[in-house]
Amino acid sequence: MFEEPYRWMEAVSTRHNYVQEKLKMGQPVMAVPYNEGLLIFGFAPQPGKIFEVYDRIALGGVGHPADVERLRMNLLDMAHLEGFNRSAQDVNSARLLQFGIAPALKQNFEEIQRAPYIIRMLLVELDKEGIPNFFRMNYDGHWETFKNGTAIAGDEKVMDWLQKEIQKQPFATYSLDQALQQACKLWDESRKLESDDEAKKDIPETLQEAFDQWYLEGAVLTEKSMRKAIYRPLSKDEIERLKSSVV
Amino acid sequence: MKFQSEPNTSAGEFFELLENSGYRWPAKLEGTANQNGFTVPQGTTVLAFHFKDGVLVAGDRRATAGNSIMYELCDKVIPIDNFTLMAIAGVPATAFEMARVLSHNFEYYRRSQLQSMSTEGKIRALSKLLKENVGMAVQGLGVVSPIFATYDPDLKKARIHFYDMLGADFQIRTHTATGSGSQIIRGILEHEDLWGEKPLAERTREQAMTLAIRLLQTAALFDSATGQARPEDDIYPTLATLTEEGYRFLDDDETAKIFKTSTARG
Repeated sequence: MFEEPYRWMEAVSTRHNYVQEKLKMGQPVMAVPYNEGLLIFGFAPQPGKIFEVYDRIALGGVGHPADVERLRMNLLDMAHLEGFNRSAQDVNSARLLQFGIAPALKQNFEEIQRAPYIIRMLLVELDKEGIPNFFRMNYDGHWETFKNGTAIAGDEKVMDWLQKEIQKQPFATYSLDQALQQACKLWDESRKLESDDEAKKDIPETLQEAFDQWYLEGAVLTEKSMRKAIYRPLSKDEIERLKSSVV
Repeated sequence: MKFQSEPNTSAGEFFELLENSGYRWPAKLEGTANQNGFTVPQGTTVLAFHFKDGVLVAGDRRATAGNSIMYELCDKVIPIDNFTLMAIAGVPATAFEMARVLSHNFEYYRRSQLQSMSTEGKIRALSKLLKENVGMAVQGLGVVSPIFATYDPDLKKARIHFYDMLGADFQIRTHTATGSGSQIIRGILEHEDLWGEKPLAERTREQAMTLAIRLLQTAALFDSATGQARPEDDIYPTLATLTEEGYRFLDDDETAKIFKTSTARG
């Protein structure tokens, strides 16, 4: 069936369309620097978008929950084995992506008889020098690095817009509260760009509705932490403060 | 770094993941005779007791091999996770390995299962490791005698557990100590708790620190395997507290200050 190159390319192209269509409803996850580390943040109708991976690494995912879970477990397995067998200092996002997840995802995507992963992933890390690193990975294993923050979303138009807007703001100079407010405003603006009418119908119309009906998930990786594991979910107080400042 | 097409699907069990990757806990050495009537070679003093805000865990810094002093900067109080500390006496190689396995075990569980391991689960995990180690322990090659302190979020109280070589755990309500210098200070701890200025559990953080420093200095006076502080070289005992905020180690400056006031003669 796939003996001719053209057929294989056509099948891959069909897979791209299939995965992109499936991803379309995925709500954005943003990651930005702030003056004490980095923030990862997103609203969603169901929780399960932001996770701790290792001492200084966090993950944001958009896509099928089972696929997010499978890759998350793979990342956890790789990171913890590496951290145990070598050192926590040898575990970093670039190695996890470049030598772990990315080649496997690419192979999986191009083996057209296997079900593709329906996922976009954000991997963030505050390195040993306290510098935030942002990585974005696509369902086909393609990954990119960013210095000043990044975003993923199901809709590519929304994702590209968020990416541009994040670069325009000096997030690294903001306090956590300011960074949260600005990220929240960007999320609010990005809702209006949603190209799919069906998806638009299910998105809260106001930030108030988003806070009331959806889950706000957020976490920071901060040098202010005295612990080895520097991941910290946003506290109720921080979320309440954000709500009262933006709604 | 290897991507596994089927990630570990066990319920957050890091030890199973390790074994699947080829790791084996050292078993008993075949052909080596068991030691008869062996004693635990534990040249050290570590202690823990309840104070007003939680638990204090402290230890000296000396590592010995027979009569030789090998190292004066050994950290014998080890953070396992944000709410757990382990103080070790015994064979350092085995003790450090246990601490590393436990640390990864608790963190892997918390991250994969999206909830912290229960306090009972944490206490059991160390029991299991000690049980795995019995073969080495009876040969006198890997005996470990740990103190395990963890904050229980359900009871809202820090707990101290002491273990025997076979892995049985005993919850300690007031104080415990282990290592070669422990016999010297256990009596003092009991005396302080019963007839001291106030019971240990009612003492402030500063009072608890002062007592711990004095106890370790006393142990070092009578036990050659317990290291004395050497302020001129910036070598002080390790002091850590465990409260509802998690663990906190005293930094060198704070330790130096408390050490100075604690050891001043009246």
